[in-house]
Amino acid sequence: MTEVSASARGTALRSTDVASAGIRSRQRSRSRRPSHVWIHVILAIGGLIMALPFLWQIIMSLSTNAEVQSVTPVFWPAHLQWGNYVQVFERMPFLSQLRTSVVITVIRTFAQIVLCTLAGYAFARMRFPFKGVLLGIVLSILLVPSQAYLISQYQIVQSLGWLNTVLGLVAPGLFSAFGTFLMRTAFINMPRELEEAARIDGANPIQIFWRVMLPLARPSISALAITTVLFSWNELLWPLVVSTDSSQMPLAAGLATIAGDVTINYPVLMAASLLAMAPVLIAFIVMQRRVIDGLATSGLK
Amino acid sequence: MTTLRADASRKRRRYDGAWPWLFVLPLLIGVAGFYLWPIIQTAYFSFTTWGVFGGSTWVGGANYAQLFTDPQLYRSLLNTVIYTAIVLLGVPISVWFASLLNTPGLRFAQFYRVLFFLPYVAMPTAISLVWRMIFNGDFGVLNWFLGLFGIDGPYWLTTQWFALIAVSIVGLWSSLGFSMILLGSGLKNIPPELYEAAELDGASRSRQFRSITVPLLTPSIFFVLIVTIISSFQLFDLLYAMLGTHNAVMPKTMSLVFYFYQSGFISNDKGFAAAIAIFIFALIGLITLFQFRFQRRWVHND
Amino acid sequence: MPATHTRVMRGRRALVGIVSALSAAALLAGCSQGASSTGAANDTTYKAVAKDTKANLTYAVWDQTQVKAIDANLKGFNEQYPNIKVTVSVTPFADYWTKLQTEASSNSLPDLFWMNGPNFQLYAANGKLAPITGEVKAGAIDPKNYSSSLDELYTYNKVEYGVPKDFDTIGVWVNKALFQEAGVALPSDDWTWDDFQKTATEISQKLKSKGIYGVSAGMDGQTTYYPTIFQAGGYVVSPDGTKSGYDDPATEAGLQFWADLIKSGASPNMKQLTETAGDQWFVSGKSAMYQGGDWARSEIAAAPIAKDVAVYRLPKGKVDANVIHGVANVVAANSKNKGAAQALQVYLASKEAQQQQGDMGAVIPAYNGTQTAFADSMPGVNLQLFLDEVKVAKPLPVSKNTAAWNTLETNLLPDAFDGTKSVSDVGKDLADQMNAALAKEK
Repeated sequence: MTEVSASARGTALRSTDVASAGIRSRQRSRSRRPSHVWIHVILAIGGLIMALPFLWQIIMSLSTNAEVQSVTPVFWPAHLQWGNYVQVFERMPFLSQLRTSVVITVIRTFAQIVLCTLAGYAFARMRFPFKGVLLGIVLSILLVPSQAYLISQYQIVQSLGWLNTVLGLVAPGLFSAFGTFLMRTAFINMPRELEEAARIDGANPIQIFWRVMLPLARPSISALAITTVLFSWNELLWPLVVSTDSSQMPLAAGLATIAGDVTINYPVLMAASLLAMAPVLIAFIVMQRRVIDGLATSGLK
Repeated sequence: MTTLRADASRKRRRYDGAWPWLFVLPLLIGVAGFYLWPIIQTAYFSFTTWGVFGGSTWVGGANYAQLFTDPQLYRSLLNTVIYTAIVLLGVPISVWFASLLNTPGLRFAQFYRVLFFLPYVAMPTAISLVWRMIFNGDFGVLNWFLGLFGIDGPYWLTTQWFALIAVSIVGLWSSLGFSMILLGSGLKNIPPELYEAAELDGASRSRQFRSITVPLLTPSIFFVLIVTIISSFQLFDLLYAMLGTHNAVMPKTMSLVFYFYQSGFISNDKGFAAAIAIFIFALIGLITLFQFRFQRRWVHND
Repeated sequence: MPATHTRVMRGRRALVGIVSALSAAALLAGCSQGASSTGAANDTTYKAVAKDTKANLTYAVWDQTQVKAIDANLKGFNEQYPNIKVTVSVTPFADYWTKLQTEASSNSLPDLFWMNGPNFQLYAANGKLAPITGEVKAGAIDPKNYSSSLDELYTYNKVEYGVPKDFDTIGVWVNKALFQEAGVALPSDDWTWDDFQKTATEISQKLKSKGIYGVSAGMDGQTTYYPTIFQAGGYVVSPDGTKSGYDDPATEAGLQFWADLIKSGASPNMKQLTETAGDQWFVSGKSAMYQGGDWARSEIAAAPIAKDVAVYRLPKGKVDANVIHGVANVVAANSKNKGAAQALQVYLASKEAQQQQGDMGAVIPAYNGTQTAFADSMPGVNLQLFLDEVKVAKPLPVSKNTAAWNTLETNLLPDAFDGTKSVSDVGKDLADQMNAALAKEK
């Protein structure tokens, strides 16, 4: 199969040549790079606006409940209440719920990447009867308010005997119209030369997909992964409905339990939500890195 | 970009045989079982009076007749359109920010990315509370800030229109990170050589933005546009979280999906709610179809 | 905790809202297998199961903070029935009802679960609940051990379905320090509506410069206007559940009480009370009185104002009246382990179990005479008042589809409270719409 990849890579270079319309012969000089001061100013201001509510959330997570409840905002607590973070672990089965969250998220993300890239590729690049209609049907499932699915999906899972199982927890979330649409968009804009070259080399569609197209779609796959992770991480109603044991529920459900207490302890809630956010943030940073590294090694730079 | 078209031997066949089915069937089976079937059921129940715990009586078009004479439908539609319009302002903003972030050799780009990503990763349960405190009419930071300029801020979350604007601002805020991720992946597909060449040719940065970034990004922009419109039309969570259920301004601010929720799950009129769901389905369906038809005029497909 | 829909949605609406937002709720699609199984519901026979019965039960609740006390109860239960294994399933309040609706539509309700007043008739009328008639006849449960108002709340078409586990009543929480600061005398035990209005208005005037109000309230039915409606001799919904009371002059007088407080500046207005809840004004020292439920106790006890707090009875209107609500344990009509579930229901209704609930803290248990632990939990604050008020308390007004007209109340009444429209205009409008909603229930 090395032939195919080699050939694909050659084509990639060729197409880049075409794209840059012969400018490639000129020197790649970066010496004239203009200063980025203004870009930094704009991004810093924008970033600060984005982040401000979080900074406040962090402060709240270190305050007393009375300080948070005070009608005149307390911008800095009298004493930093690190104990709020300890309380999180007392109030919800954090670690077992974290494990459930991770399991659900990993399964779904993996399944969506496989199913959505396959289907997205077919919808973008292959010809088959009723393609337009089928794509329309897949997209149409995004148009119905999500609450409308609940009872039917529950009854399907019930009849499959999947209540209170991991399968039941992940099932409907394995299939994503959004992901399919995202991957279709990614594939539809890729240069056709690559596929043609591979086809001439005698590769079958699976090989073309796996060796040629998939590596090119890496940025979109990472976007799909991030959106799936977040969807899965924050999903609340479905896990609450299909399982009864709270230690088998994801973190979002644990947070909801704290938020649903008759007397809510707001600082603990804030602390819990920050702790629950952390793994996703880390995953995001890691994924960003991998995408950049991936680009660097795929020979497209 | 010039494109080599498929070779002649391939053109003779109309379809690619069994291969495509191998690619799409796993997804289609799941979609049909878990999503399409519920939609069909909903469509059926929209013509019935549907018991709270099951059991239904056929009533023909009565639910739709009631729906189209209910002024709340049109008010909810208007609110949803206004919300969507405000959130759509985020699309150009995120194109701009995403392309700034994509500046070659920009330091701290990773750090900025994380900042812009924060709203998206937020646990809505907690962050809505922060926003409610910011918008609070008596004690909120926003009105305190406006006061510095001598402006007497309104009771944002309980005054007609202002409540919708406040919700839209938070919607815009939380949608930016999402759009930027999608646009960022599109930007990475633009060959850096194009910018280098343009720079050598003396094109200014704003000129590069207009002539290279935007045109080559149109497929991603189109995608973000569609997804933003669809998700804005599904406005519910945020509204519920920001205004709460005991807010007199809710009927004047509610979205279509909230209207659906209230009819189906609070008032337990499920057949009527099914009709609203089908109405929402048809409406966004039409809008999306229209966008797909219209995209050929402006989306750059190679 | 004993939570009615009203109360939780009000006090915690921010978060509960958010949470259920994520989740929203339920269902439009659904097979018709949810057809009601009235046959099972009519089966009122009860025979105590053998002590060695083997079964796995699910007990569904919504309050995490009570799980410790429940676990203690279950330990006692398992000493009697060692082979009945009970899984406690906690679902946050806002999602609890969505889940229950889904399960009820799919005939997979938990064996035993918590029920509240506003939702009760919906489930009872659709044959989803097992009556307790058999247990009462067999002497396993005696309704006389609980407040008769609660018994009434969980009776539908003369059939009793639920055993109360706890209850809530309403009182006036007072910040004595603010009374002193304003130079206003503390309330007397036999104060009247007029005294209340005068006191609140005077405090507002004296402390205006500090932004402190005389009174704040949740502005929902249970804590705020149902008590005053009853005190004025009015009613919310007729006993047979067919007619709204909002066009009754006495009912309107109960609403006018709150409109007057806002008009005189004694209370923050509706916008202020929606953006900043009544209890928040009080615990932040921004209102001198807060009309609210006993459940505000833990929040108030943790606030800086705790040392200045006392509880007073509601001021007297035409009659003495209060509102009572409590959560009940109900058995699913089609539970596969009905005998075992009823055994647990009976045990949880016992004095022993409820005493344990009360001693462990979070609630006022429903069984008469087990409430002393609650009364003693804040010495010097007179929590006993919430127990004494049971005598004059009427059950929370409900009908078969309570939520439909609760929404109308929330949407229409603020115009009356704020004086944008007259109370009688709003009352008539609300009565018309509510009557239409009630007519649909049949």
